Amino acid sequence: MTLTIFFFISLIIAGIQTAIPFLVNRSVIFGVTIPEKHLQNETLLAYKKNYAKLVGLLSIILLAGYALWSLIQTATEEQIVIGGILLEFVIILFSFSLYFYYHGKTLKLKADKQWTGNLKQIRVADLSARSRDEMLPWQVFLLPIIITVGVIGYTLLKYDLLPQQIPTHWGPNGQPDAFTEKTLMSSILMPLTLFVMQLMFLGIHLGTKKSGIKLSGESTEASRQRQLALRKYSSWLMFFVSFLITVLLSFFQLQIIHPDIISATAMFAIPLGFLVIILVSTIVFAVRVGRSDKFTIETTEEKLTDSDDTHWKGGLFYFNKNDPSIFVEKRFGVGWTINFANPIGYLIIFVPLIAILVFSFL
Amino acid sequence: MIIRIEPESEVPLYLQISNQIIEGIAREHIQPGQSLPSVRTFAADLGINMHTVNKSYHHLEQKGIIRIVPKSGAIISSPQDFNEASLERLKNDYRPLIAESLVVGMSNQQIQELVTSMIEEFKSSKEETQ
Repeated sequence: MTLTIFFFISLIIAGIQTAIPFLVNRSVIFGVTIPEKHLQNETLLAYKKNYAKLVGLLSIILLAGYALWSLIQTATEEQIVIGGILLEFVIILFSFSLYFYYHGKTLKLKADKQWTGNLKQIRVADLSARSRDEMLPWQVFLLPIIITVGVIGYTLLKYDLLPQQIPTHWGPNGQPDAFTEKTLMSSILMPLTLFVMQLMFLGIHLGTKKSGIKLSGESTEASRQRQLALRKYSSWLMFFVSFLITVLLSFFQLQIIHPDIISATAMFAIPLGFLVIILVSTIVFAVRVGRSDKFTIETTEEKLTDSDDTHWKGGLFYFNKNDPSIFVEKRFGVGWTINFANPIGYLIIFVPLIAILVFSFL
Repeated sequence: MIIRIEPESEVPLYLQISNQIIEGIAREHIQPGQSLPSVRTFAADLGINMHTVNKSYHHLEQKGIIRIVPKSGAIISSPQDFNEASLERLKNDYRPLIAESLVVGMSNQQIQELVTSMIEEFKSSKEETQ
């Protein structure tokens, strides 16, 4: 069971890492902006293909090796877990080293061929883009929060029913395998953690909504499609994940209060189903957003570029202290990254994490 | 309506924004009564400082092109909102430009033609959008 879970998670990580060059913003190759008319340059296409081939090949070898090792060796549960985590890290590390290698090569190619030699730098905004923004209204994120508050209230109400030992960890078979002493804090720790996570989701949603819709000067239409798709689908995905986690953890909490409410099979099947649904929706999200700007579009004859490369350190980290945006679209990968020069981003991400840590040590 | 700015141009950013908004109104890409985005969203979209957008909005407000209404934001004025004072100010703005045109040797007719062709250009793009 553990093997299957780790195998499939690693498989999906490997799949996404391999496909990344084909899912990212069309005019950004390995974190470097490339003028529209050079996007089909053969060397660049070869870089993308070689990257995908190398990551794909290594992943297949590692995944096969991992599966064989754990099956033949009859490795222990713990060894499988450690092996699985190592496997994921190696795939991610390898693809990032390759990324940096090709980032350097692409930068050099761009400089050698003088693609931006006499191009004008421009920034573009569409005054009407906001009216087509289909992000969910922030109020829907209150729904899971209300459920959580209800669960906390119910737990306090039924405090006497709770067992003396509160489960804090569940094994892969869905049965609790670690416990802690019953206190007011430990009895609501799980829904409280959930509550903080939901606040973080809400914060990320609001931060994304307030962030800029960044358009490319050369392919305004394609970049608008992509920005709007990314905003819409990421708000859907985040609400969906927030809702699923709420359902899952609320069930667990209710199961602590009323041990017979869920059968042992369900305790085993629900988290597994949860994992599968999350993974599938993440893939659907990545593909939807990744394909949103891949249609052929008219290219402008003007000599323009919107290369924002100066604000992107290593093509990965966005530092722009003038930009009030809290989140910006990733350059390598599908999704968002924070504007590292804007302290509000750090607040939204780190304050909830610290709060959760503090709660668990109280 | 699309706004394009050039960070490396000699024209200050706030002026580039103001000028494009005024042109946008002349071309009827944005109509009187419509509102401009908030300073924060506009600055975030362009990835520039909020002060720059703020300066541009105040510049437009001074000219009477927009009205800044608390809570509803920046609203495009309609032609009836302008008065003698606006015309007087425009006359003063034309003055140095026309003087400069004469200095570089443009004839009366050339200046007239230039003005007419620009008006034509704005009007034609107006028809395109309709």
